[in-house]
Amino acid sequence: MTRANKNSRGVIERSLGSFVDALEYAFHAEALARKNGLLQKLDPRIKILALLPLIVIAALSRRLWVIAILFIIGVAVATLSNVPLRTLVRRVWLGVLTFSGLISLPALFLTPGQSLYALPLLGWVVTAQGLRAALYLIMRAQTAATFSVLLVLCTPWSSLLKALRVLRLPIVLVVVLGMTYRYIFLLLRTAHDMFTSRKSRTVGRLTGREQRRAAAASAGVLMSKTLQLSGDVYLAMHSRGFQGEVYVLDEFRTDWFDWVTLATFLTIAALAFWFGR
Amino acid sequence: MLLLLVTRILQLCYSGGLECPWAADAAAPLTTWSCSRMHIPDGYLSPSTCALLYGTAIPFWYVAFARVKRLLNTRLVPLLAVVSAFCFVIMMFNVPLPGGTTGHAVGVGVATVVLGPWASMLAVSIALLIQAVFFGDGGITTLGANCFNMAIVGSLVAHFVYRAVAGRTATTSSRRALAAGLAGYAAINVAAFLAACELGFQPLFFKDASGAPLYAPYALHIAIPAMMLGHLTFAGLAELFVSGGIVAYLQRTNPALLGQKSGAGTDEGGRPTVATTGWSTTRPLWIRLALLMLLTPLGILAAGTAWGEWGTRDFSDPQMRQQIAASSGNIAPPSQQPQGLARLSSLWSAPFPQYAPPFLRRPAFGYVMSAVFGSGLILGSFLLIAWMAGGRGADATKASP
Amino acid sequence: MTVPIFEVRDVTYSYHEVTALDGLNLTIMPGERVALLGANGSGKSTLLSILDGLCFPEKGSVAFQGEPLTEGRLGGEVEIAFRRRVALVFQNPDVQLFNPTVFDEVAFAPLQMQWPKDRIRDRVNEMLEQMEIAHLKYRSPHHLSTGEKKRVALASVLILDPEVLLLDEPTAALDPKSESQMIDFLVSCSGGRKTVVTATHDLDLIEDIADTCHVFQGGRIVAKGAPSEILNDHVLLLSTNLIHAHRHAHPSGELHSHPHRHGHRH
Repeated sequence: MTRANKNSRGVIERSLGSFVDALEYAFHAEALARKNGLLQKLDPRIKILALLPLIVIAALSRRLWVIAILFIIGVAVATLSNVPLRTLVRRVWLGVLTFSGLISLPALFLTPGQSLYALPLLGWVVTAQGLRAALYLIMRAQTAATFSVLLVLCTPWSSLLKALRVLRLPIVLVVVLGMTYRYIFLLLRTAHDMFTSRKSRTVGRLTGREQRRAAAASAGVLMSKTLQLSGDVYLAMHSRGFQGEVYVLDEFRTDWFDWVTLATFLTIAALAFWFGR
Repeated sequence: MLLLLVTRILQLCYSGGLECPWAADAAAPLTTWSCSRMHIPDGYLSPSTCALLYGTAIPFWYVAFARVKRLLNTRLVPLLAVVSAFCFVIMMFNVPLPGGTTGHAVGVGVATVVLGPWASMLAVSIALLIQAVFFGDGGITTLGANCFNMAIVGSLVAHFVYRAVAGRTATTSSRRALAAGLAGYAAINVAAFLAACELGFQPLFFKDASGAPLYAPYALHIAIPAMMLGHLTFAGLAELFVSGGIVAYLQRTNPALLGQKSGAGTDEGGRPTVATTGWSTTRPLWIRLALLMLLTPLGILAAGTAWGEWGTRDFSDPQMRQQIAASSGNIAPPSQQPQGLARLSSLWSAPFPQYAPPFLRRPAFGYVMSAVFGSGLILGSFLLIAWMAGGRGADATKASP
Repeated sequence: MTVPIFEVRDVTYSYHEVTALDGLNLTIMPGERVALLGANGSGKSTLLSILDGLCFPEKGSVAFQGEPLTEGRLGGEVEIAFRRRVALVFQNPDVQLFNPTVFDEVAFAPLQMQWPKDRIRDRVNEMLEQMEIAHLKYRSPHHLSTGEKKRVALASVLILDPEVLLLDEPTAALDPKSESQMIDFLVSCSGGRKTVVTATHDLDLIEDIADTCHVFQGGRIVAKGAPSEILNDHVLLLSTNLIHAHRHAHPSGELHSHPHRHGHRH
């Protein structure tokens, strides 16, 4: 699988790039989930109960310093879990900074309030309120994203799906999610192969209209295969005794370490909530 | 407007082939946001907004699940899983658009046309969940909002537009492909409008002590044009091409998949249509929904009014002022009502101000009434229209092969 | 007189306007090892689906141990009992492996049978050891090679210890090493009282895993016999598209049309 050049202009290349990216990300996540670190040792259900409140509080707290402290805690947990900071930078921080940074850039000037600084040439005025608004947005996004990515990178995804039952999600949903997760990769691979073969058969550059037809045809083929797959999988399930009831079998076991860690995280969450109201 | 100009320039850099890689990398997230994506990330919506939208989404999920289960039965698990996976992959397609740009589709148009609105709601919600949780695209606190905008409202809008435009034409007519495209286009734009409203309301109601917006910083008059421009053009068109294109392709290759049969006898999953389900089957759901709504007075137990949800009169009432001060870190509210609030409050007099119409003695009852009224209005109107359309739809099933 | 485990009479089945099976007759006795030989599209996969009660013939009848196998009869407890005794391994492992991990896959059938969870866990571990895939326990299917997927598929049906094993192209798309490993597994698993019905177009397989061969063409059975007989009948094999003829230069300089098949690779 070749990595598509991000700056290439072809639609095919860019789509291929997204597919490859997703596959690599999943692979990377599974590798990190097998390492030996703080988060990896925890029962996935405990992880969800510990990290979810922190994500929610980071996204919703009203005090900048509380969010900042949560962020630092996030970095600490990442280090203790052997997640290289390089990964976090590349996968989370850079993206969020660019994204939310650019979004909030105009807010610096557009938010009414006490003026702080005027740009020399353009005369646009940065307000204190605008600065705070931008900081809120960026820091919230970074912190929430850090914790959610940690949750996902340090847990095998199939276990994480099963652990979602701790949030009282219906079993049927968990089973469907597991199957969706499994087939996303099959469809990604199929789409990747389709696009690669199309690319190899294309000489020169296609016109916009041709590109659209190609994209629609690929999507159409994928839809056909999807519906066909659903029928076949149904038969496969049926042949193994499926009659409509769904079951989940997990191998989760908690020990004292899990409970102590959970207590710690919940205390941090409670404190953050209290100080950030 | 500045935002839009910057966006457009960067977008042109990215796709027009100018050799500036850093601009491309920087442009990508911005262009994706304003032009093709409306996945609201964490931190852009306030706690009450997030909770409200989760609360609105849950009844729809519940109803959708019950309907789909009734129609598909044992086929539910494989069909839903596989179509959700499909939606997820479609969201990654770069769809080439006129002008050399690209956009992303969500797949809600296709899912609705092929599976019907209820299954589409679930499939797109599942795809969004996986995207948000596992691939970090879209927030976890805002998942309810994103699902409401794109999956729920999107599916319903797509369904009605499709039925309206396609009417009773043959399965393989080109009008159907056009209808599918328009359905997708409408769905995306309505979803974008909702998202813009949700984001635009944030700075009006949720500010910190110094007046800085706590969450999304752009008010309605910026948020709406910014999002709508990008979606009326890029994302909407992407969805149009994907929906229309897939339907056209299926018409050529496998028209049976677009048929209106549901389930029994076919070897692929059938299409659960709103038309094939009746009112009486949903009665138990209404009962459960009513029970859920009766729990809303729990909100009353939280003392006082929700932070930010003050009327103009509250600023002059001394008791209310004390409450506001207490819940705002002991900072006294301005002595006069804020100008913005004064302007807005004259625009619309809600039939149930403060959730308790004056003629009702007990506020809890008024709260419940308002919740019932609100939810009922949304669900009821859709179901009513569906029921009316169900009459026509039944004829269509008989008429088409 | 023993009751045949499968009795297929005059079965006709078509889908999408293609007749897959045309008045087919077949009897399989318990403990028999049968190979259904035929090129792609000759109807063998369809027959396996019918034997597994996944689709039902338009005309004719199928009986499992004397009991008719119809859509009406198959349901509830009767179906559970049937599925416990008859297992089908699909041709495409991506269809058969629909669970997020190997562990979940192998545990799926016992869960449907509602075994106690501890027993399932132990049995799954045993099965994985037996098929030499214990190291793949928590892998996802998209991280497995085709050979590994086929072994997982086999494990997922053998866990119930079925009496009848229906195999659809078990060695398709496998490289030579995986293929010979698979043949070894099949030989060891199918020993004893199991009835094994294998649909294949791979001639290398049949001598090891079958005692009787039925040759398919156009939805009908055109020949029946022991593997050695069939393998030597080159005319038959050619006409049913199981081997190909190619011209090659004979050392004497003449051109010969020579039916050619691959040799054993054990």
